[in-house]
Amino acid sequence: MKINYERFILENGLTVLFHKDITTPMAVVNTLYNVGARDESEDQTGFAHLFEHLMFGGSVNIPEFDTPLQLAGGENNAFTSNDITNYYDVVPKQNIETVLWLESDRMLSLAFTDKSLEVQRSVVIEEFKQRYLNQPYGDVWLELRPLAYKVHPYKWATIGKELSHIENATMEDVKAFFKKFYCPANAIIAIAGNFELEEIKQLVTKWYSSIPAGTKNSRNLPIEPPQNEYREKTINRKVPADAFYYAFKMKDRLHDDFYPSDTLSDVLGRDNSSRLYVSLKKNKQLVSSIGAYILGTIEDGLLVISGKLNDGVTFEQVDQALWDELSTIKKSLITDAELNRNMTKFRTSKEFQDQGILNKAMNLSMYELLGDASMINSEKDNYLNISPKEIQAVANSIFQKTNCSLLKIKAQNND
Amino acid sequence: MINRTIQPPIQKIEEVSFVSPINHPISENVSLFHMNKVSNETTRFDLYFDAGKIRTSGGIAGFVNGLILSGTKDKTSIEINEAINGLGGFYDSGVSAENAVLSMYALKENMIPLFDILIDAISNVIFDEKEVDEFINDSRQRQKINSEKVSYLAQKNFQKILFENEKAYATTLEVEDYDKLEKEDLVSFHANHYLKGLRKVVVVGDIDQQSIAHIIDKCRPIISKKEHSFSDKIQNKAEELRVPKKDAIQSAIRIGRTLFNKNHPDYLDFLILNTILGDYFGSRLMSNIREDKGYTYGIGSMLSELEKTGYFMIATEVGHEVKDLTIKEIKFEINRLQTELVKDDELALVQNYMLGQLLKSADGPYAMMDLFLSVEMYDKELEFYNLAIAAIQNITAKRIQDLAKQYLNWNEMSVVIAG
Repeated sequence: MKINYERFILENGLTVLFHKDITTPMAVVNTLYNVGARDESEDQTGFAHLFEHLMFGGSVNIPEFDTPLQLAGGENNAFTSNDITNYYDVVPKQNIETVLWLESDRMLSLAFTDKSLEVQRSVVIEEFKQRYLNQPYGDVWLELRPLAYKVHPYKWATIGKELSHIENATMEDVKAFFKKFYCPANAIIAIAGNFELEEIKQLVTKWYSSIPAGTKNSRNLPIEPPQNEYREKTINRKVPADAFYYAFKMKDRLHDDFYPSDTLSDVLGRDNSSRLYVSLKKNKQLVSSIGAYILGTIEDGLLVISGKLNDGVTFEQVDQALWDELSTIKKSLITDAELNRNMTKFRTSKEFQDQGILNKAMNLSMYELLGDASMINSEKDNYLNISPKEIQAVANSIFQKTNCSLLKIKAQNND
Repeated sequence: MINRTIQPPIQKIEEVSFVSPINHPISENVSLFHMNKVSNETTRFDLYFDAGKIRTSGGIAGFVNGLILSGTKDKTSIEINEAINGLGGFYDSGVSAENAVLSMYALKENMIPLFDILIDAISNVIFDEKEVDEFINDSRQRQKINSEKVSYLAQKNFQKILFENEKAYATTLEVEDYDKLEKEDLVSFHANHYLKGLRKVVVVGDIDQQSIAHIIDKCRPIISKKEHSFSDKIQNKAEELRVPKKDAIQSAIRIGRTLFNKNHPDYLDFLILNTILGDYFGSRLMSNIREDKGYTYGIGSMLSELEKTGYFMIATEVGHEVKDLTIKEIKFEINRLQTELVKDDELALVQNYMLGQLLKSADGPYAMMDLFLSVEMYDKELEFYNLAIAAIQNITAKRIQDLAKQYLNWNEMSVVIAG
C-alpha cells in the first residue's frame, strides 16, 4: 500500500510534509532537526542529547512545554542519534493547534533558564549511569566506536565520551548551539492525521512563518580515512560471560551497497534461522547468543556481529568459526530459499511498520532529510530487487580482516 | 501579530468509539476472539494457556514456554524455525505468574500455514535433551547477567515481600533451579498445561470465516476443560529491605503494596490518583524527583493487575548517594496527596490527559484488541471504558485525597532498595 503525502515549504525554508489518514482520531506532529552528535566538537560531546532535554525546559513565550500538551490530551517524546534530533507529539486531532503553538515557540527560542540547565545536566548524568555505566556490557559502544572510527565524529556515542563534558556545559554553549541548529531552514516537520491539506497549510503558516529562517546546517566533518588495518581491543569487566563485537565498515545510507549490506547482515544474523545462529550456536554450540545488524547511519556505517561465548569456549574458537562462515558467504551465492525467506520477513515487518501515524510521520521526515520523502514508497523495491550476486559482492568488500575492528569483553571474576 | 503567550482553544474528548471483537465460543469456557476490521495485510494470533509460573515451581513453566519450538520427533528446532521464518512469521512467547502466551505476527497470506506449524510444534514437542541443555545454559547465563542489574535485584526482593504469603507468585529464579531440572517435569507440565490448557485464542486480521473455522477445529483438542483457580489472598509484608551491591553507582528502589484490579469499585478512581502521583511525565514524582531535583532519569508508579487481585508499585533508579533523599521525597509526595486537595488546574490537566490517552489506546485494531483483552479477563465488556470516561470526568479532589489516605499509607508499604 502506497503512503500518500503532500509537501510544502514556507518562505523561511521550513519543509512541511502532510500525510492524511482518515482512520485515526489522533494526530502526530514530528519535528526533525538536522543536527546530531556528529555535529559536536570533540571536547563537548553529548551536547546534542543534553540539548534535547533542554528543549522541554520552557520556550520564550511558554514557561512549560509538557503542561499545555497534557492539557490537550497529548504526549510527546524525543530522541537523539549520531545523525539527527527528533521530537514527536501525539494528540487528539481536534487539539493539534496546541502542538503547533508549542513546537513553533521552541523553534523560535528557548527560555534558557539556569534551573533547567542544572536539572537536566543531573538527569542526563543519571541517564549516563543508568544506561551505560551501571549495566553489564553497558559501556560497549563507548569502547567500540573509538576503535572503529579514528577521525569521524561517529567515534563518540550520543550520550557523550565522558561525564565531564556534560558537567562542564555552560549556558553560553547552550545558546550558541540553539542559534546554530534550531531554525526553520534546518528542520523538517511531518504532520499526520485526518485533516485537509489546506487546513494544515493555514495552521502551519500561522504559527511558523514569522520565525526567522536561520541557516541550514552545512557540514564539513572530518572524513574517516580507509581503515586498512585489523584492530582488536580486549577489555576486562565484571560480567558473567565473555562477549565479542566485530565491527566492519560499510557504505553510507544512500549508497547502492547499503541495501544488499543490510540484507547480508540479515542472512547472517537476523533470526534463529540465520547462518551464524545455526552454525555457531545450534551446530557448534560455541555461543549462547549471536546476531548481525547494521547501524544504518547516514554516513559510512558499521555492520556489527556480536554475541556471547558459552562457558569453556575461547575467543579463538569463535573467531575461527566466524571467519569460516564469512569466507563461505564470500565464495558462494546464497540460495534462493535463503533470499526468499529474508524477503518475506522484510515484507512482513515493513507492512507492520507502515501502520500507525507516528511511524509514518517519522519515516517521512527521515526520508526527506535523506533527499526525498518519496523514498518511503520506493525503498521497498530497493530491497525486493536485491540479487544473490549483489550480496556476494558486498560480502567481499566488507568482510576483509583489514576492515574489521574487534572488541572483546573478558569476564573478570566477581570477587 | 499572533499572541504566542496564550494556548489555542482546546476541545475536550467527550466520547471514544469502541469496537468489540467477534466472540466464537469453542467450548463453554474457551473462546476465540476475532478483530476483523484491519485495513492492511497484517495479522496476529495469540494462544493463551493455563501454564503460568504459579502452576509449578523452580522455573519449569518458563522453561516449557521457552522450549515450545524445540522440536518434535519429525522436525528439529532448526527446521521448525526455518519454516516459520520462511513464511515471514515473527514468533513471540511469554509467561507470567498466572498465564502463558504464544503469539505470531504475520502477513495475512501466511497466517494459516504459520498457525498449523505452531499447533504441530505445541502438540508434539519432545523436549530433546540437547535442546533442553542448550536452553538451560542460555537461561542460566541470562540470569547471571540480570543478577548484575540493581533493577533486577530490587524486583526480585520486592516480589519476595510482596507475595510473602503466596510464595508461588514470587517467580524470579535462583541459580539452583537450573541444576535441579528433570526432563520428566517438563514433559508432565507440558502434558497438563499445554496439551489440555488452552484458555483463549485471539486473532487480529482480515481473515475469512473458513480460516477461523480451521483455527477453532485445530484448537479443539487442546482446550482446557477445567476451572482455573488463582489466589485472592495475596497480602504484602510491610517492611523495608536493603540489598547491598558492591560498586553499584545507582540504586534501584521499589515501593508498593497489594491492592486490587478492575473488579474493585475503587479501581477507576485509584487510577486517577496513580496518574497524578506517578504515571505521566508531569506527575508529582517526575516533577519533584526528576525535573526539580535531577536525582533520576525516570520514576513512575503503576497499578499491576492479577486475575483475582492486583498491586501498586513505585519504581525508579537513582544515584546511589541520593537514595535516601529520594525515599524522603516519595514520602513527601504521598503525604501531600493525603493532606492537601489537588488543585483544580492540575486535576483538569490529568482529566484531559487521561481522556487523550484513552482515545489513543483505542486507536487501531491491535490497540482495540488489547483494550478488550484487559477487560475480558475480568468478565467485563468494553462498556467498562465508558465507565472509565465517566469516572475521569466526575472525579473530585476530595475523593482523591480520601483514596490516598485509604490506600497509600507508608506503614503498609513494602520497600526495597538495592545497590
